[in-house]
Amino acid sequence: MIDWWQIFANALWAGLPAVGFAMIFNVPRSTLPFCAFGGAFTYGLRELLLNFCSIELGTFIAATAIGIIGVFWSRRYIMPRPIYTIASIIPMIPGKYAYEMMISLVTISANGVTDELLAKFIENGLYAVSILFAIALGLVLPSLHYTKRKQPIL
Amino acid sequence: MLLDYGAESHLIEQISARLGKALGCSSIEISLIPSAIVLTSLIDEHSITTTRRAHHQPINMSIVHQVVSICVFTEKHKENLAFVENKLNNVHANYYPAWLLIPIIGLACAAFGHLHGVDWPGFLVTFLAAAIGMGVRIWLSRLNYSLLIVFAFTAFTCTLIASLATYQNFSATGGIVLSSSVLLLVPGFPYINAILDAFKGYLSMGWGRWMQATLLTFMTSLGIILAMHLIGIEGWQ
Repeated sequence: MIDWWQIFANALWAGLPAVGFAMIFNVPRSTLPFCAFGGAFTYGLRELLLNFCSIELGTFIAATAIGIIGVFWSRRYIMPRPIYTIASIIPMIPGKYAYEMMISLVTISANGVTDELLAKFIENGLYAVSILFAIALGLVLPSLHYTKRKQPIL
Repeated sequence: MLLDYGAESHLIEQISARLGKALGCSSIEISLIPSAIVLTSLIDEHSITTTRRAHHQPINMSIVHQVVSICVFTEKHKENLAFVENKLNNVHANYYPAWLLIPIIGLACAAFGHLHGVDWPGFLVTFLAAAIGMGVRIWLSRLNYSLLIVFAFTAFTCTLIASLATYQNFSATGGIVLSSSVLLLVPGFPYINAILDAFKGYLSMGWGRWMQATLLTFMTSLGIILAMHLIGIEGWQ
């Protein structure tokens, strides 16, 4: 059973970080709504896909989707694509896993190695790396497809 | 110039080549390393080579956008060199004002916390910690400190304030508060750029950016660890 309302609410919440981080990167003002929509869209899509497949595969599909949308938007408004795509994938970045990986590493160095801590370290680290890789691969696929052609995207 | 502000390598090469063609050179060859650009242009059988040093600046997408629009405009309207130079000199960073940036970043990190399941008191603390952290970051950047030092100090401040959540059990989810309040320091842009560069065949650029991002992450961890040892909380258990 898919909880549509929950997914929708979470997607709205995910739009906020997308806008915030887009502002750190100093994107042009007119693109902010697109960044918000992109962030909400990607996060919502991933939440939806989590019902059917693993988190890595879901992230990959969501990143590919925003990569393709970014190509259309950038053509229409003459903007470099990263403005849209990177702001949109910010909510999916595995910051939490990376943080927990680091914390368990610090605990290991402070209290000595235990099986439990080591397992936590490896598990979180693998999650972080594989999600990051899935995002990057998803973003790069559409642009690799389009750079095959002679005509540049913009 | 594009390199300074964190554009993708492929974009830099494409834009330079197209701008050169539009201005009447027969060909433009370009070579990139993380700290410099070497550019050779061929005009009427003469070749001119220049090397430019790149200084790393904070990522600023609006500058990248303006340069790209100038390039497209020049191609369409066949403008001359003076026009392009004039335009490029007028490219300015349009920064968002600090009073707007600080609460928005606070809200963004708090929203992250909410997505990871933090309760409402924790939400409040995350907002506060991230907002003050952002304030510190802007302030230190204005004083022209190295980006690495800025990141370490910001992480330190964020963790100190976020640890208030664990004080007297103010929030039941202190661990998540701690982790989401430092999320404003995740160098997502360099990481993604690094992988994009590497995929498109610019291996040395990819490595350079990956190294930069990793260094930033290390400095952030350093700040967090310092703060945690200072307070002596066992926030992670």
